Amino acid sequence: MSNFEIVIGLEVHTQLKTKSKIFCSCSTEFKSPPNTNICPVCCGYPGVLPVFNKKVLELAVRVSLALKCETNKSIYFERKNYFYPDLPKDYQISQYKMPLGERGILELPSGKKVNINRVHMEEDAGKLIHKEDCSLVDFNRTGTPLLEIVSEPDIRSPQEAYDYLTYLKLVIQYIGSSDCDMEKGSLRCDANISLRRHGDTKLGTRVELKNMNSFRGVRAALEFEAKRQAKAIESGEKIIQETRLWDVDNLKTVVMRTKEQAHDYRYFPEPDLLDFSVSNELIEGEKALVGELPIERKERFLKEYKINQKEVDIILASPWLANFFEEANKAYPKSQELSNWLLGPFLEQVNALEKGFDSVKISTQKFAQIVRYFSEKKLNNLAAKKVLSLSIATDQDIDGIIEGEGLTQVSGEDQLSLFIEEAIKDNPKPVKEYLEGKEQAIMFLVGQVMKKSRGNANPQVAKDMLKRRIEE
Amino acid sequence: MKDLINTNASQLAEEIRTNKIKKEEVFSFFKSRIKKFDPVLKSFVESYDQPVKGEGESSLSGLPIAIKDNICIKEKKVTCSSKILVNHIAVYNAEVIKRLKNAGLNIIGTTNMDEFAFGSSTENSCYGPTKNPWDITRVVGGSSGGSAAAVAARLVPFALGSDTGGSIRQPACLCGVVGFKPTYGRVSRFGLVAFGSSLDQIGPITTDFVDCANLLNIICGHDDKDSTSAFIDVPDFTKALNGNVKGLRIGIPKEYFSQGLNQEVKNAVEEAKKIFEEKGAEIIEISLPHTEYAVATYYIIASSEASSNLQRFDGVRYGVRAKGESLEDLYTNSRGQGFGDEAKRRIFLGTYSLSSGYYDAYYLKALKARTLIRKDFDQAFKKVDVILTPTSPTTAFKIGEKASDPLSMYLSDIYTISTNLAGLPAVSFPCGFSSEKLPIGVQLIGKEFDEFTLVKLGSAFQSCTDFHKEIPKINYE
Repeated sequence: MSNFEIVIGLEVHTQLKTKSKIFCSCSTEFKSPPNTNICPVCCGYPGVLPVFNKKVLELAVRVSLALKCETNKSIYFERKNYFYPDLPKDYQISQYKMPLGERGILELPSGKKVNINRVHMEEDAGKLIHKEDCSLVDFNRTGTPLLEIVSEPDIRSPQEAYDYLTYLKLVIQYIGSSDCDMEKGSLRCDANISLRRHGDTKLGTRVELKNMNSFRGVRAALEFEAKRQAKAIESGEKIIQETRLWDVDNLKTVVMRTKEQAHDYRYFPEPDLLDFSVSNELIEGEKALVGELPIERKERFLKEYKINQKEVDIILASPWLANFFEEANKAYPKSQELSNWLLGPFLEQVNALEKGFDSVKISTQKFAQIVRYFSEKKLNNLAAKKVLSLSIATDQDIDGIIEGEGLTQVSGEDQLSLFIEEAIKDNPKPVKEYLEGKEQAIMFLVGQVMKKSRGNANPQVAKDMLKRRIEE
Repeated sequence: MKDLINTNASQLAEEIRTNKIKKEEVFSFFKSRIKKFDPVLKSFVESYDQPVKGEGESSLSGLPIAIKDNICIKEKKVTCSSKILVNHIAVYNAEVIKRLKNAGLNIIGTTNMDEFAFGSSTENSCYGPTKNPWDITRVVGGSSGGSAAAVAARLVPFALGSDTGGSIRQPACLCGVVGFKPTYGRVSRFGLVAFGSSLDQIGPITTDFVDCANLLNIICGHDDKDSTSAFIDVPDFTKALNGNVKGLRIGIPKEYFSQGLNQEVKNAVEEAKKIFEEKGAEIIEISLPHTEYAVATYYIIASSEASSNLQRFDGVRYGVRAKGESLEDLYTNSRGQGFGDEAKRRIFLGTYSLSSGYYDAYYLKALKARTLIRKDFDQAFKKVDVILTPTSPTTAFKIGEKASDPLSMYLSDIYTISTNLAGLPAVSFPCGFSSEKLPIGVQLIGKEFDEFTLVKLGSAFQSCTDFHKEIPKINYE
């Protein structure tokens, strides 16, 4: 294996987030019953004509800009002709000679730069469902807008492919062009892989891999295929240019078709749609929406919020969390405290919610308020967590919860002194140990005070008072 | 009942409006003529017992109209005269059908055509050829042959056809009626089963220019559902009727009067030219130097687009599905049994032209030639307002005469296809008869979106000639 350099290029299809399809007004809703979001146009009935949904262009241009592509201003669609039952017209309206964007680049967090060959818009096909004695087809997905993103063969390992996909997904989610949800089919990936001896400049014969259903699947398929090819080359076999399917059950790739069986798609300009130009206004507008890419945002977070890189990485892994964090900072600019609470109790509680972030109702102001109360010792740790748990999915008034649950922290020394006295009286042994120099013993006593106050005491204050009282 | 066949559609509508006749009577009049003559002529694919009724009002409301069998009428069969679609019921209305219905027209039935509009004789129909009402041993032209024959025989006051390379004008010419192809983009193609998407255009077939103008008023105009439909104001074409043609410059392209043109046709067209001259138009000789490449260019582009447009007829979702063990069998059997010879020929030709390795030599080169042909017209229209040519090199030929010789059949369209390549409006109208009493037609080609001038000239011609008033005596015994 180590005799070879692995060369990988990826083709990613991502579903652009529009309400209606690319060439008709049918809904793109994912969960509808089969063949309900369809019309004569997306089912390719005789006589129908496509009308381009301009929203698709906006979202596509945004990705093109985010990937630093040169965006072509003069655009036209072409027909890609092939027969398949999930393709109602038996041709797909796509872009070929003149893609929307070309010659882009994606810089991964590792610093690795992957060149982007092209991004282009096209319509999705339907879905075949194979039964024992027949095949069924669902046209709901037919005509859903897709953006195909083709990388140059710049990727050098299956792990790097995984990293590329992870970051590409993050970028596209960030700019709001797609949900990139592999489970819903809104992101799909095919891979091209070849091997060559280290130092060779010529590319080896490539094999195309299809049917990977997750980023892990892409990585596993590439790992398998790299080993297969290495073994083949070592034993003197020639690699055949072919398309192979990832068999997820048996964890291997199997031949789908060879080059000789490849389609001649007979691309030609789609005569039913006029050529159109991408206006400067649209490009400028989208540029503003692309804003900051995750990698740029990371640098800013490190500088602006002064939290450590590990924390930043976790926060930025989710656009939702990152936005929440930034908003909370506006309400309470103590970033480290917010980060502690966000990555600790907050995430813990979010994970317990049924729909994760989608279930979160609490406003950033109220979240910041809880963190501030904790900092100001109005709430102790336990109480603050409780307030959070009661407000996270409801956005209830914080002071109201504290009042209603009787969570006001007992930190007044008069109120506490009674519990202190009791704790010292009931536990002579730890007191003695503390006096003998065993610092830890004091914590047992703090615990006793907390218990007696039913959690409402401020542990720091209790600790100070205990020390003073014992040392008297 | 009054004999209605010498009354044009616009006048009939006027009589309905003024209660001189009931629209039901008009319908049954034409229906009875269909019953009487169509078993011989075979111009209809289907004629309805009850019309598909329109609702709105217009200068033509209440009248029946026939529709070429490649335009979708909701809940009615649309078969393109192909075996592969014989059972297909349209699930929606074409934009033109919507407009006709909104104008109060009633659809009486669908008319025969060459399968998927591939042909110039209507012999390539799965229902058999339509016979020419002037001589039932002869073809009607094509591909809108059913519409042209039905109008010529007065089985219906007027009809719609579609024109990709002459499919309205050439049959209109061979049947002695007026056939108008508007500018590409003038009439919505939504609901017209596509043949050559960059060339197809729907247009009226009528007995005279008055009806033509009234029908154009109804069907022209922008449609959001057709991206190639133009955002250009539509004039009232009836304002062009009986207009003054004095001073209009008519170009005569020398390339259209060379070899292959029948002498009787040539003479009749020369006569037409003289009539315009007498009316004060100026005749100017012009040149369209790339004319000789038009037929080759057209057959590459039209067939390439057709090969892709016809892919969807695969037996999977609609139309006729043949049995097959595998998916591939299902495709090959459905298409193999469903398409006729000419359709297969065009699919092969188009598929070949678009194939990798041949694309540059054929399709791309044809696109370049198309640009040159367009430029010829641009140049010509700097000097003239319209161009006058024959519509067809010959009068109606015998059924079967050219059936086995596709190349000579393709040449029937030699004068009409350039205008589709250039997207220009053009009209054919009767200008004489041959010694065998077969109609001869003349063609006027206009500037882009200048249908108005064509109507003006055509109606001026008809105001002083009677060719369009002659009605064939159908020998149906």
